[in-house]
Order: sequence, then C-alpha cells, then structure tokens
Amino acid sequence: MSEAGSFIDELRALERDAQDAIAGTSDPAALERVRVAFLGRREGRVSRILRQLGGLSPEARPAVGAEANRLKRVLRGALEERERHLARKRPDAGTPAPDLTLPGRLRWTGARHPVTRIVDEICDIFARMGFTRARGPEAETEWYNFVALNTPLDHPAADEQDTLYLKGGGLLRSHTSPVQIRILEEYPPPVRILAPGPAYRRDTWDATHAPAFFQIEGLAVDEGITFVDFKATLSEFARRFWGPGTRVRFRPGYFPFTEPSAEVDVKRRVVRADGSVEETAWLEIMGAGMVDPAVLENVGIDPERYSGWAFGMGPARIAMIKYGITDIRTLYENDIRFLSQFA
Amino acid sequence: MNVSRRWLQAVAPGLDLAAGEIAARLAMRGAPVEGITDLAAEIGGVVIGRVERVRRHPNADRLSVCEVDGGNGTVQVVCGAPNVRAGACYPFVPVGAVLPGNVRIKRVRIRGEESRGMLCSARELGLGTDHRGILELSGQFEPGSAFAPAVDLDDHRLDVEVSPNRGDLLSHVGVARELVGEGGLRLADLPGAVEHELTVRSGSGVVDAGGVRVRIDAPRQCWRYMAAVVRGVRIGPSPEWLASRLRAAGAQPINNVVDATNYVLLELGQPLHAFDLAKVGGAEIVVRGARRGEMLQTLDGERRRLDEGMLLICDPEEALAVAGVMGGGDSEIGEGTTDVLLECALFNPTGVRSVRRALGMSTDASYRFERGVDPAGLERAIRRTVSIIVATAGGEPAPILLDACPRPWRAPVVTLRPGRVGQLLGVGFDAGDIVELLEPLGYRCRPSGGAIEVTIPGHRSYDTLREVDLIEEVARVYGYDRFPDSLGAFRPGTVPDDPLLRLHDRLRTTLVGRGFLEAHTTAFAPAEEGEVEVLNPVSAEESHLRSTVLFGLLHAVEHNFARGARDMQLFDMGAVFGVGGSGGLPRETNRLAVAMTGRRRPHHWSAGDLPWDEWELRGLVEELLEVVLPGAYSVEPGTFDSTFFEEGCELMLRAADGSAVGGAGKVRADRVDAPVWAGPVWGLELELGDGAGEKPDPAFRPLPAFPAVERDIALLIPDSLPARQILEFLEERGGRDLVEVSVFDLFRGGDVPGGYRSVGFRLRFQSSRRTLTDAAVDRAVRRLVHRLKEEFGVEPRASAAGSGR
Repeated sequence: MSEAGSFIDELRALERDAQDAIAGTSDPAALERVRVAFLGRREGRVSRILRQLGGLSPEARPAVGAEANRLKRVLRGALEERERHLARKRPDAGTPAPDLTLPGRLRWTGARHPVTRIVDEICDIFARMGFTRARGPEAETEWYNFVALNTPLDHPAADEQDTLYLKGGGLLRSHTSPVQIRILEEYPPPVRILAPGPAYRRDTWDATHAPAFFQIEGLAVDEGITFVDFKATLSEFARRFWGPGTRVRFRPGYFPFTEPSAEVDVKRRVVRADGSVEETAWLEIMGAGMVDPAVLENVGIDPERYSGWAFGMGPARIAMIKYGITDIRTLYENDIRFLSQFA
Repeated sequence: MNVSRRWLQAVAPGLDLAAGEIAARLAMRGAPVEGITDLAAEIGGVVIGRVERVRRHPNADRLSVCEVDGGNGTVQVVCGAPNVRAGACYPFVPVGAVLPGNVRIKRVRIRGEESRGMLCSARELGLGTDHRGILELSGQFEPGSAFAPAVDLDDHRLDVEVSPNRGDLLSHVGVARELVGEGGLRLADLPGAVEHELTVRSGSGVVDAGGVRVRIDAPRQCWRYMAAVVRGVRIGPSPEWLASRLRAAGAQPINNVVDATNYVLLELGQPLHAFDLAKVGGAEIVVRGARRGEMLQTLDGERRRLDEGMLLICDPEEALAVAGVMGGGDSEIGEGTTDVLLECALFNPTGVRSVRRALGMSTDASYRFERGVDPAGLERAIRRTVSIIVATAGGEPAPILLDACPRPWRAPVVTLRPGRVGQLLGVGFDAGDIVELLEPLGYRCRPSGGAIEVTIPGHRSYDTLREVDLIEEVARVYGYDRFPDSLGAFRPGTVPDDPLLRLHDRLRTTLVGRGFLEAHTTAFAPAEEGEVEVLNPVSAEESHLRSTVLFGLLHAVEHNFARGARDMQLFDMGAVFGVGGSGGLPRETNRLAVAMTGRRRPHHWSAGDLPWDEWELRGLVEELLEVVLPGAYSVEPGTFDSTFFEEGCELMLRAADGSAVGGAGKVRADRVDAPVWAGPVWGLELELGDGAGEKPDPAFRPLPAFPAVERDIALLIPDSLPARQILEFLEERGGRDLVEVSVFDLFRGGDVPGGYRSVGFRLRFQSSRRTLTDAAVDRAVRRLVHRLKEEFGVEPRASAAGSGR
C-alpha cells in the first residue's frame, strides 16, 4: 500500500466516524463538541492528520491534501445541516425570542401647569401679532397699583380689589396693570406687550376665589390706535384661542384706567360627542378698554398724539373653562394626579 | 341694586318688555343683570286664608289652633305666630302646596292637634326678612283666591350689577333712564299722594323757619342740607301698595314714614332720613364734625365710638346720626312719633367713604353717597317724600322747606370735539349724531364753533367730567357691537421679550422633558418661612411673603405623600421676598425650586428600581445651571440654606464671580412630614436673576481628523482630598492633546488601604495634527502620574490600571 493510500484510507475511516458522531448528536452543545473533536485547530483529528502531511513524499502530498480538503468540506456541510436539523427539531432550544407584547421601559411624563399652558397659548397668539412679553414687580407702591392708573385711593373703585398691604411699605399688586406704567415709563411707543404674572387680593379661598391668582395684562400704545383696532385685535385673539366660529361680544364696562371700558364675552362652538355642534352661553373672558388719557399723561405721553388699548385676563378662569375644572383650589393643590393630566 | 320690573315700568310707561329683555338691554349698556327672580312663580300655591276663630292650643302655651277659611271650607291649622287674630287675612298654604325652597306642606299633628296647612310670615314667602309674625294683609280679600295677585306680586326682581362710577343707576329712575331716555320718564302718581305747596327757604350756612333751624358747621363735608317738617303723623304699617313695592325691590317695610324715605331712595336714588322732631333738642339740626371721644348708639343697636371729625347730624346738645351712613337710635321714628323732621342732604362722597370705612359699616345711604347722589335732585326727592308721608301717615307739612346750601351746585360744561371722537373710536360721528346720542341721557348739547359744549346733568356729574368720558358715552349709546372689527396694520413694539420669561421657558422645557411636573405655589408663607409681613393677611398660614420657593414645593410633596404617592418630581418658579428693597418695597428676586423623591424612572419588570440619589441630583443641578448660567458656574459641597438640607449632603451653587446662587441636597427629615414608606426627598433652590446671559451661539470646531487613544489610570486618593481637584488638575493641565477626562470607577476595600479610595480616570488623547503613537501617549500618562504625585502626593493603584476590582 502506497504512502498516500494508507493516509487516504485513514481519512475515509475518519469521515465515517465523524458522520456517525454528527448523526448521533441531540443538541447544539454536543454538536459543537463533535466539531472540535474532528475539525478543531489544535487537537482535531483531521488537523492531526494534516500535520503529518509534512512527512510525506512530494508525489504523495497533492492527492492526500485534496482528499483532506474534501473531507473538511463534507464535514462542515454535515455539521451545518445537523445544526439546522437540531434547531428545527427543538424550537425552544437556544435563546427564545423576546415577548415584545410586554411594556417597555418608561420615563415619568412631565407637564407644564395648566395655567402655564393657557398663558403660553395666549402669549403665542399675541406674539404672532407683534407682541412681546414684559414683567414687573409683585410688591408694588400705591402709585403704580392705583394712582398712576387713574384710581384715586378714596374712590369706591379702589374697594373693588381689596388689597393686601405690606409691613414696612408697599402692597401686593392687585392686578398686573402696574406693568403698563412701568413699561410706558421705560420704553417709548410703539408698545405692544403682554405681561403675565401673579396678582393678589384679600380673598379667602373658595371654589372661585384665591388670594393669589394669575393675570395677563395686554397693552398696545401707538399713534392712531382706535376703538376699532381694539375690537379687531381682541376679536382676532378670541377666535384664534377659542376656535373658529367663536362669537365675540363687547359690552360697556368700567375700569378707572380705561375709557371707553369694555367687558369681552365669547360664545364658543362646542362639538359634542355625537358630532353635533352646540353654542355655549356667553362667557366673560376679560376686562378691557382704551387706555385712559390720564394714564398716558401720568407717564409723560401726549394723549392727543398717542392712544392705546389694554386688557386684563384671568388664565386660571380660562383654564377652568377650557379643561372643565370646577374648583380653583385644584390649581394650587399640586396633586400629581391632577398635574400629570396636562402632559 | 335690586330692581322691580313693575316699578321700572311705572316710572317708564313705555317700557313694555319682559324681564329677560330688560336684562339683555341693560347688559349692553354696561349694567349686567346677575339674576332674575319671578316673584309670583315662587309662591304660586299660596292662597288667601281668613282666620275665622282662634283658640289657645290645649297642650302648648305659645301655639294657637285656628279655623281657617282657605276657600274650600274651613280647616284646622296650628299656628305659632303671636299676631294671629280672628277676622284677619293671611297668606295660607294648603296641604299639598309648595313654599319657596320647595317645601311641600303636609297634614301633621302638632302636640296632639291636627294642622292642615300653614299661615306664613313674609320671610317664609321670600318677601322680606320679617319673621316676627305671620303677614297680616290689609284690605278685603276673597278667601281661597290666589295670594300673588292679591298683593300685586306679578313682578320680577332684577339684580342689576352697578359699577362704582354709575351711582346714577342705583335707583329705578336711573335704570329706566338708560332704557327709555329722559323723555320717557314719568314719576307715577301714587294713591292719595298730592303735591303740597311748599316754599323753599335757602341760606348758605343757617336757615330757620317755623321754629326749626338747620346749621351747617362743616361746609366742606356737607354740601347741602334740606329739611322738611310734617306734624301730626300717625305711625303705622304702610299700605299694601307701598309695602309690596318695597318688598319687590328686596327692601323690608318698617313703618309708613320710614317706608316713604326708602321708597324715594329706591325710586330716585336720594337717601333721606326721618327724625322724630320731638327728640331733636331745640328743634335745631347742627351738622358738624365729631368731638374727641363722642359716642352714638346707631339704629342697629350698636354703641359706637366716633373718631374726631366724623361728620355728624346733631342737635345743639348731642349727636343724632352719622351723616350719610346711619341714624341714631334715640331720634328714631317710633310708634309715639307725631312730628317728623325729614332730612334730604348732599354729603361729600369721600367723607362718607372714610367714615363708612372707619366704622366698618355700609348702608343703602352710604353706598349711594359714596358713588354720588344727584346734586340737582334733592328738592324733587324731599317733595315726593313729604307727599307720600302725608298720604300714608297723615299730618300736615310745614309750608317752608329749609335749604342750607354752602356749596351751590352748577352743572359742569365739557367741550367735545367731534374730530377727537373719530380719532379715538375709529368711526366718524358728526355733531348731529353726537347730540342725538347724548341728549336722551340728560346731556344738554350746544354746538359752538366746530365743537359741542355739553352741559353735564347732575346724575352724571361725578363721572363724566372730561371729553374722553363723553366719548365713552357716545360709544356706549351707539353700541359697542356696531363698531367694525377689521384688523389694521401695526408697527412692532420697542419692548424686548422679557429675558426672565424666556429663561422660564427654557427651564420649563428642560424640566418637563426630564419628566418633571410644574407646580404652582403662591407667594404666601407662615411667619417662620418669610421675612416680609402682610399687614392684613387672610390667614396665619398666609401672613408673610415667602423667602424660598422650595418650602411651598415641599408642602406639595407632603400633600402627595398624604395621598399615597411615592414618586414625584416637581418644580416651580416665582418671586421670593426679603426686607430692604429699594423705594420702601421688599427686595424681590426670582427663583426656581425643584423637589423630587422616590424612583427617578417608573418601575420596570426587567430590573430593580432606580431611586433618586445624590448623583442624579448633582447631574440635574449642573444641567439646570448650564441653562441659567451657561458655562459660568461652579458646584461644590457647602451650605446655602442650612434649614433645608442635611449636613454633609448639600451642594452650594455659585456664579462665576463666586456669589452663592443656590443650594441643593437631601432635604432634612424634619422639613417634610413624610410617611414611613417614603424615600428621601431631594431639593434644589436656585436664583434666576433677571434672566440675562442667554447661551451664546455655538462656534463650530472642525471635527478631529486623527484617531483618539484612551488610557485608564487608577489613583489612590486619600479621603481628605476631594477628587474634584484631581479632575480639574487633569482638565486644566493635562496638555493640549488630553481632550477629555472622565471618572469611570470608584473602589474601596480589597488591596486599597484604609482611608483611601481608588478612583479610575479615563483619559482621552487626540491631536488635531497627527496620529498619536502608543509610545507618545504612554509617555504623556507617565508624566501626568508623576506630576499628580508631586502636586497631590497620590500614587497609582498597584494592580494594573483599568483591570477592574
């Protein structure tokens, strides 16, 4: 028997052993052991035979080498096929697919306060009409809170807003209107601002009253601003805020710092669950009016040349209307079950 | 102001409108109606009952058993009223009928006697507040007939909201004027009332006639004082027409003389007061300021100490009444009164207001004087009152009306330019239009050149004194709804969007994005949480202004703990106050507060919970500081507010100049009322300044062209040395190519000696000019380790760097 022949016989015997061993495996781990035993780089039986190739005569080497390579190919194919077979036979074998019906990892959902949502919404609408936001102190003087706003302290109008006074001087502003004065003192017309912020009154807490509440002041002062501009701007706002089809009504009202003064009401169109459309009752949404000439004079602006309009709105009340909240105290309890509803 | 529809129609005969339509019209004139009560509907089931016989209840002293004819034969009724008598008629509710308030009358036994129905008091019928006895009707009635028409109750009561500038609307005539105009008004004839021939005798300070004298010693406070005398009256209940009219307007009938004054108050808006002339010493009225320590028992039975200078109506001896506010008990009209002195005066509104405030009482009279009583209406009012008194109480009026008038009223004249009307309203009105709009309200207009001279009527002489006031009248009468609302062009304003509000937006976006809920707390705080005191607080809990925002947020945490919540992340932004600001005001600054507790992410079935801890807090602190003070802050252990945070677990936040801007840490257990199951609460309080210093636009840096090389080193750092110092040393002095330093490990125990911890730093080297070789990087690391040893005395950990624990 030639050198090559005995080698090839050995390889054939090895092939049979390997085929038997592969066929006898019942799980992927056993199959892997078989692979290592036969094809492993160091200790595999095929590798050991191949390492002896070096001792062969140059004539014998090609035939044995070819046979060894064929053997490797055949065994790899057999291993792969067996692997597929085992995988088919044992579907629960290996890592199971994740059950993606389970919930994922969540984060807490943050939310702006409902009143902030309303304030932002209002400021955004007015921003598109050229308004910027302004701010003033919450502790104020009688001059800014009353007198400069044409409200003499000895007039019953000063009673309408029962004011909280501070020891050592000053008071808590009873409305955001003092910002009108502060801004007009600092900036020349044209002025188009919105001033959101807290205001304070000597009210005890109940379902509709709070001693601290948010207000938004609006102010426009320029040459040639008229009652028609006033109506137009606020009507435009109301339709954008309350939705198309909203009707807006201006009624005469009274504020010492506006003349003419107006109460602004809206009547909304509400789509019911069954798809029908219904109009609400008239809702009072703001007090407003043309800036009183005395206010302009108090800040050194010539009322014969300049005119303007102003409004005050309560975003808490609007939030209550819009979101169906019945008790204003809910807005200040900061119950997370409430706050998280506005995410 | 309670307005009776019938009364309104009596003074405005052409006003043929239902109550609802009247309300709608008034709303568009600036006097909205808060509510409408149908007076008849409320008592639809009440009939006239005539009491036939009365006997004492056998088992109860205070009860009577009556035989009442309610139209369906006689029934037995048990009655508790002391004034029930046989032969009189009363409102009667038979069994099965309903009283106001939805009370259904049933057949009952009271102390053994059957009662089939109820005789009613005025209050039980919603007609007034009198509950002293059942309502005896004067006149002849058919038993069983409906009660409402019998007492003329086919009426509605409108609750009209009157703004403080419109004192003229505090009367039926005033409200009617708005609806029908001056020309449609007529003072109704009243049963039995006739005009008496009375002559007015005027003087500036003192007047007398017929033995009665009026003297005004305080002409700045009392502008006019008219007095009339009626002698020989018989005090008694008012006739039904008068009583029912008062009741319809929500007033309580008292007696014929007082009712006459109230009638005129409600009809014309002029407060009047009736004195028992016999109680006016010397028959002389002196109007003067109160003396020091003077006392007066007012009609409501209270004995009041008067402040010096308060305006009083007196006789030469003592005070009789607080002018314009309330009468005194001594000179009150009573059953024995025969001669009446009637006061019809005009007081300074601000004087009445300050007295009313000082005494803490408001009456129908003071309410009207404060808002302005028609200075031209006194004579008409006193004449009408005299007529009514004589008609209902008899007597003879003294022929002279006394009129002390130190400050005669002259109608103001205001110039109105039609051009200015158009300039402000945006719609042109010519002079003719304007006159047509104004005159029905009593303004008299006289064109003069291009303008109009407008004479202001007395009833508007308090609030319509300027051109712009008349322009409002033009707009109001024309109708606000008739102005177009076409949006015109506008110029952008000069005011920049407020930086603090912009900062609020950015912080809100950051925090809401991280799962925080925005809370709204108020600026009020109890004494221990604030420096600035409120002088007239609503409650002790709200007696001061807060000096931190966090305290209110911790209250919110407690609120939620009490409702079983374990996990929460809250924030709020607002002003805090301290003493010593400028201009006598408190110092006011703006802050952000954050509070969180429990898990920082919701529980997931795949892993354990992740609670908030100091590292989450510190990370959040730096993230927020980056928003507030981009790149210009530092954070270090330290105490910002020792009352909030646990010692040793507090961070001090500083601005670039070193000033403290806030603190953060683990909230002390005694600051939060937490249930046993609650986790620690973490908090932060941060000054926001004025919001200046918005993050500048980023400057682009070219992306690195050469690869980075990383090396890990573990250093043994003694516990006394803050690791931050090593970190900063590496960052600042690690050389140009050391682009990033991070901490990847902290380890104690094992081969690490006591008093030390091993801190693993990951160094990332990268050059913008070449590929760094391993050898070069190793050399750089060795150099750094050496310098750290020199600088801080720290050694590398003996085991291989980065090989784990």
